[in-house]
Amino acid sequence: MSAPDRQQRLTALRDTIADIERKPALAEVRAKSFDARDGNFPRLPGGLLQEVFTDAVRNGGANLGFALGQAKTLLTPKRMAVLYLQLTSDGQFFGLPYGPGLLSFGFDPAQLVIVRVSDMRDFLWVAEESLACRAVAGIVADIGGDPEPLDFTASRRLSLRAAESGTSLFLLRYGAERQASAAHLRWCLTPHRSGRKRFDEQAPGAPRWSLELEKGVALGRQTQFLLEWTENGFATLPVEPGRKSRHRPTLPFAFPTRLADGLSQAARV
Amino acid sequence: MGQSVADARALVPRLAIRELDRPMLENAFASFADWHSNASPLVSVLTDMTPYGDLILDITGVPHLFGGEKIMLSMMISRLRQVGYTVSGAIAPTIGAAWAVSHFVGNRVVTPKTIVTLLDSLPIPALRLGRDQIAALTQMGLLTIGQVRQRPRKPLQARFGASFLIRLDQAYGEIEERMTPRLPIVEHFVERRFHEPISQLDDVLAAARELAQKLCAALESDGLGAQTFHLFLYRVDHKVMTLSLNAARLTRDPQHIVSLFHHRAQRFEVEEFDPGFGIDMVRLAASSLDRLDVAQLGAFETENGAADIDRLTDRLTSRLGPTAVLKVELVESHIPERAARLAPAVVAETESPLSRPRPRRPLRLLPMPELVRINAEVPDGLPASMIWRRQPYRLIKGAGPERLGAEWWRKRERLQLVEEVEPEELEPGEKAKQPPYVAALPLHDPEASTRDYYLVEDTDGRRFWVFRQGFYDGDLPPAWYLHGFFP
Repeated sequence: MSAPDRQQRLTALRDTIADIERKPALAEVRAKSFDARDGNFPRLPGGLLQEVFTDAVRNGGANLGFALGQAKTLLTPKRMAVLYLQLTSDGQFFGLPYGPGLLSFGFDPAQLVIVRVSDMRDFLWVAEESLACRAVAGIVADIGGDPEPLDFTASRRLSLRAAESGTSLFLLRYGAERQASAAHLRWCLTPHRSGRKRFDEQAPGAPRWSLELEKGVALGRQTQFLLEWTENGFATLPVEPGRKSRHRPTLPFAFPTRLADGLSQAARV
Repeated sequence: MGQSVADARALVPRLAIRELDRPMLENAFASFADWHSNASPLVSVLTDMTPYGDLILDITGVPHLFGGEKIMLSMMISRLRQVGYTVSGAIAPTIGAAWAVSHFVGNRVVTPKTIVTLLDSLPIPALRLGRDQIAALTQMGLLTIGQVRQRPRKPLQARFGASFLIRLDQAYGEIEERMTPRLPIVEHFVERRFHEPISQLDDVLAAARELAQKLCAALESDGLGAQTFHLFLYRVDHKVMTLSLNAARLTRDPQHIVSLFHHRAQRFEVEEFDPGFGIDMVRLAASSLDRLDVAQLGAFETENGAADIDRLTDRLTSRLGPTAVLKVELVESHIPERAARLAPAVVAETESPLSRPRPRRPLRLLPMPELVRINAEVPDGLPASMIWRRQPYRLIKGAGPERLGAEWWRKRERLQLVEEVEPEELEPGEKAKQPPYVAALPLHDPEASTRDYYLVEDTDGRRFWVFRQGFYDGDLPPAWYLHGFFP
């Protein structure tokens, strides 16, 4: 068997495996718009399951801001709604999205549908049902703790649904625990000191987030981002050297995490 | 009837005595009445004369389905007799006449020709009168309705009241008598009867699917769409179960209707689905109809996601209930918790927000503000540290205060606008001046309800929205609350 032939067959096999793994969204978008053209934070396309982890509920505002900021870029005339999903019992604990606040963030509250469910079973049902709807731009789901029904199988179902319909799902998670999941991207978010406000040194300025990509490939090999919110979306700031995620030690390459990471390894050249 | 328990016991020593459960009987009779809507959609219970009411059916345009009025009446009476009830019924052009004939003559069909002669021969109590009226009439020797009808009306009204004449006219059909239907009035419905009663929920839904297609075909031929759909399940044991649901917009899409009932039924299953001895008829009805023109699917149509979104919210609402799927409505108010309102997505009106400048507001708001402990370096200065949910935060940046007063006009309080007038000593002969009018409302207390909002940021970059209620120099010490989170 000659070498080029062998090479071809290997490529074909890899393609087959990639097909079996059904990650069309990731495979496609990695080639297209995930690339680091100018070092800016990429405008991530729809159809991704993204987990946004943060250490505690007190960062809920930053978490929601990051998800809505991304969901806003996904809104089109055809996809004109964003769903916010929460357990009814968590309302007071997390707080609810606030109309005038959405306005001042630059998000039209008329485009937000808030769904409050009583248990995790309904939660997952709503998530799947809305993911299947091609008129929904994105779903932002607040999940406190580590609920039993949201296991690897459930997240795999959700990620397949998302990839199929092109609707993005943002799971806002809290805490340092990381379970295995089939999310395409996993972010670790920490709030960052706000920018300078003009004419008022004392006041908080534009919101900033510092992000670390824990899983998936977004921007070449870059995993650390520092973002600032502007009227036109995210602006990327240079990452301060020496700033490290505080959560690194708590997840010393946990076996399930590696396993989930490995999903795409077969297709990786 | 009307006997005391002691008398009854004396007659029958082994009498078993049970207390009458009126609400239960009333409910049973009402659901029994509902079941009769399988004969005619307009069913009502007339409660003014008998303790549990009389069952009234408006059968206009229905009898030919049963082979004529006579056959229909005997069918309906015999089927109740078979179950073991004592029944008496009549068909008449007016409610009053039907009541009179069924109570005083028996099972009979009254036609417009015979109504006058028949009613004339009936006794006075057949007119649904009060006890005093009947007693007075009998005292006067007026025993049949015919005798009363011949007499001049004015003295009768003076003596027995207007209600007497109304009853008389209603019985003869001179004035119309209205009935209030128990079930929602439906303009379009389709139904299916089963030879063998069904009891599985899946079978019911399968029947609903078939009916939905029929109903939608009927709606389409009339160029109509409907917003509300009802599924009536008639049980063999004379009860009706109703499933109603609303769609966000006019529709006549059978797939969509069936899927809504499917989701609704899943919730139904959890609560209770009790088919009893089986369901022998299913009816699907549509109400809130309006024109819905045939949608044209053309090549130049720009596809809009709004219809899909409405369909999705319908589906979610039908399973989770209307209070679970919400939209944000903005309200003109400066009080933060009143400025936005959550309304069910099926009914919410989405308006584009007004373009006036709005101050910076948090992305998340706590439904109830939480008490925090805050230290400021100087009173009225920016907060310097905060303890919330037992966690300390050191605050390094802050903006504020933004002072928001309470809406005194909503709390039925008045402002201190007019000085109190001291009564002056009057000269003899001088008239006292009219004091200015002051509404008798409690005085508005700005200290108790004015809030000072601050946007603060801690060392790690979390941004909170806190407020202080009350002033430092007031009587009560000020209290601090956390109200929201900024991105």
